[in-house]
Amino acid sequence: MTGEEEKPCFKRENKFIVKSGCKKRMWRSLKQILTAERTLLWPNEAVLYYSINAPPTFKPTKKYSDISGLPAPYVDRHSKLFYANVEEFATVRSLPMDITAGYLQLRGANNLVG
Amino acid sequence: MENILVLKDYKTVPDIVHEYGPTLKFGHIPLVIDNGSYQCRVGWSIYEEPHLIFKNLIARPRKDRCKKDAEPPVTPPIQIGNDILNIEAVRFQLKTQFDKNVVTHFEVQEQVCDYIFSHLGIDSEGSVPHPIVMTEAFVTPNYCRQLMSELLFEGYGIPAVSYGVDSLFSMYRNDIGDTALIVNCGYHTIHIIPVIRGKVIGEHARRINLGGSEMISYLHKLLQLKYPVHVNAITMSRIEEILQEHSSVALDYQEEIRKWSNPDYYEANVKKVQLPYVQTASSSGLTAEQQKERKKEMARRLLEINARKREERLAEDEEQLNQLLAIQDMIEDGDTDEFNEAIKGFDIKSYEDLQRQISNINVRIEKNKQRILAAANAEENLEVRPTPGRMQPPSDPEAFQAWLNETRAKYRSLVARRESRRARRAAMAKRRSAAAAERMRVISRLAAAGDDFGDQDSDWDAYKSISREADSDSEADGERLVELEEALREYEPPPAADQRHTTHQLHLAIEPYRAPELMFQPSMMGNLEAGLAESMEYVFKHFSPEDQLLLANNVFLTGGCSQFPGLKERLERELLEMRPFQSTHKVVKAKNPSLDPWYGARDFAGSNEFENWCVSKEDYYEMGGEYLKEHYASNKYYKSPAPIADNNLAPAGDANVVKEEIVVDC
Repeated sequence: MTGEEEKPCFKRENKFIVKSGCKKRMWRSLKQILTAERTLLWPNEAVLYYSINAPPTFKPTKKYSDISGLPAPYVDRHSKLFYANVEEFATVRSLPMDITAGYLQLRGANNLVG
Repeated sequence: MENILVLKDYKTVPDIVHEYGPTLKFGHIPLVIDNGSYQCRVGWSIYEEPHLIFKNLIARPRKDRCKKDAEPPVTPPIQIGNDILNIEAVRFQLKTQFDKNVVTHFEVQEQVCDYIFSHLGIDSEGSVPHPIVMTEAFVTPNYCRQLMSELLFEGYGIPAVSYGVDSLFSMYRNDIGDTALIVNCGYHTIHIIPVIRGKVIGEHARRINLGGSEMISYLHKLLQLKYPVHVNAITMSRIEEILQEHSSVALDYQEEIRKWSNPDYYEANVKKVQLPYVQTASSSGLTAEQQKERKKEMARRLLEINARKREERLAEDEEQLNQLLAIQDMIEDGDTDEFNEAIKGFDIKSYEDLQRQISNINVRIEKNKQRILAAANAEENLEVRPTPGRMQPPSDPEAFQAWLNETRAKYRSLVARRESRRARRAAMAKRRSAAAAERMRVISRLAAAGDDFGDQDSDWDAYKSISREADSDSEADGERLVELEEALREYEPPPAADQRHTTHQLHLAIEPYRAPELMFQPSMMGNLEAGLAESMEYVFKHFSPEDQLLLANNVFLTGGCSQFPGLKERLERELLEMRPFQSTHKVVKAKNPSLDPWYGARDFAGSNEFENWCVSKEDYYEMGGEYLKEHYASNKYYKSPAPIADNNLAPAGDANVVKEEIVVDC
């Protein structure tokens, strides 16, 4: 795609669109923007993006069975999956590695140590 | 079946280029753009409805990989918004200008703007001569607004722009007074914004970093894990459809899932979603019977070819033998000269050589004859022998059924045996399990066994029981299993068509409640933020009891994700729980949660004061790109402080470090 050819008539020039082949401008991610914003000396009353993040939860998190979503009183020590009853335990034990890893990742528990 | 849901797989319709009449062209009509991270809605302020509603996505196809010099590389065009007819086909090339709920990628934004303006038919030369009302995220970073203004003023030459917050527009559109607690459930975030007497209390607003897109990907992954076979049929768009049309928020999640743990309730209420099912033709369009027939035919033909070759060779050998015998006759007749002549032609050196060759050929002929005989016998056998090793079912239908059941039972028991053996081996591999202890016991008994070990054959089974490897039993079982499997596959009546459909159904039980529940329990996806109810409680705490009551009596629910059935009731229940005893509360849902921001912004653009709330081109050059005219539905403007000069930075580390000398007593 060449910028000039496809430029609509209401534009004088492309502002940010670059021709293919030219060096692409690297756009800052939101995280980078926020980090940069943080380094500035803002007045006290200023409300910024990062300052309205929700508080961390103070309630104990409930455990639900990874495979069915039922309340899960048990943890399979082998795969670390939560399960609710005997039948589920049998299922949990028969699951292949990639599925158990998927469930753990879904719960955000895949990188816990131990 | 009574309650099977069929996915509609919605298709988008490409947007038309709208007419750009003289009223619009010369009327200085404001253009209203609700630039949401899910959808973008665009329309003129003088019309009732937005002209364009499209997903804020572009698909940039990769360049042609075949780089032939002959033809110039053809780049397929970029598809934007509703141009993307099949979103799943370009899923991996999708781009959006948004990072969370904030625009950060302005090259994509510019492409989207091009799309917007050209589809509105704007044809004025060199500029877009309309003031623009643009929505932005609550507390958008100045950096992003600056780039947006730069794009609009310098890229499109617009005369003026006004920025506003979508949820505030929606609130004023719904005319619910000037004090409310806005709960805006969006595609990437949930905002809780307290507004008191028309004033947005920004410092006590909170944002939960989770929204519709997270719910979609959660449910997507969940169902893919539940149905690994259908990984490719479970697409994001289908999940989106399930979430939009068949999901709801539970009034009491714990109670809800307790109900589902009852199998009867499950059976009665499970939702079955039919995935598209294609009748798979058997591999080559032939039945098993035909395939077998064909195989037989090929084998027969091969045999025939071999037989013909053998016969040809036999004839050849016999011919040679005759010639050699004729030469032998010559020498016996005493024609030495003729003999010498003849053996030259045959490459034979002497009489002995000749005799050896004759005997060789004789042996060869004999062998060939035997082979031909054997082959003929085998051919006969092939006709009659009923392939040994294969299971043959009885032909009588009743007996056949019995045989089938028996085979199935055998198959199942074998599978069970294999499973138990596997489990035992797995347990044995671990220390301290019962199986491992048993193994150690057997080993120690073996060591202590006297000379009479081996007198009985069963003694040797001890080795089988302690072996960690697959033993001969499992091998034999494996072979038997394959045999049974084959027989079952061949003779089992094929499942009826409607039964086969059921294997392509997704059973949704708790899942349609589980995904929206993420709003209240982000911990379910490993997010440690407080959920919606807890965050609301947190926000309430920062206000005086009187203001709390005002807010609680006007909780305003807006945003695309607020359309889940049951969300309003759930919030009312949560409020009842968190508010003081016997205090009142009320939840108001926006009339049109998705479009009200646009309507609100349209009303705003039509108001008399609109001119005063716009950043003009002069303002832009004067105040910089981040500048914003504050109004009732806008963010607050804080001028970005100058970057801290280097010498103000924390002094070099050395000066602050207190050096301590450590004296070690010896």
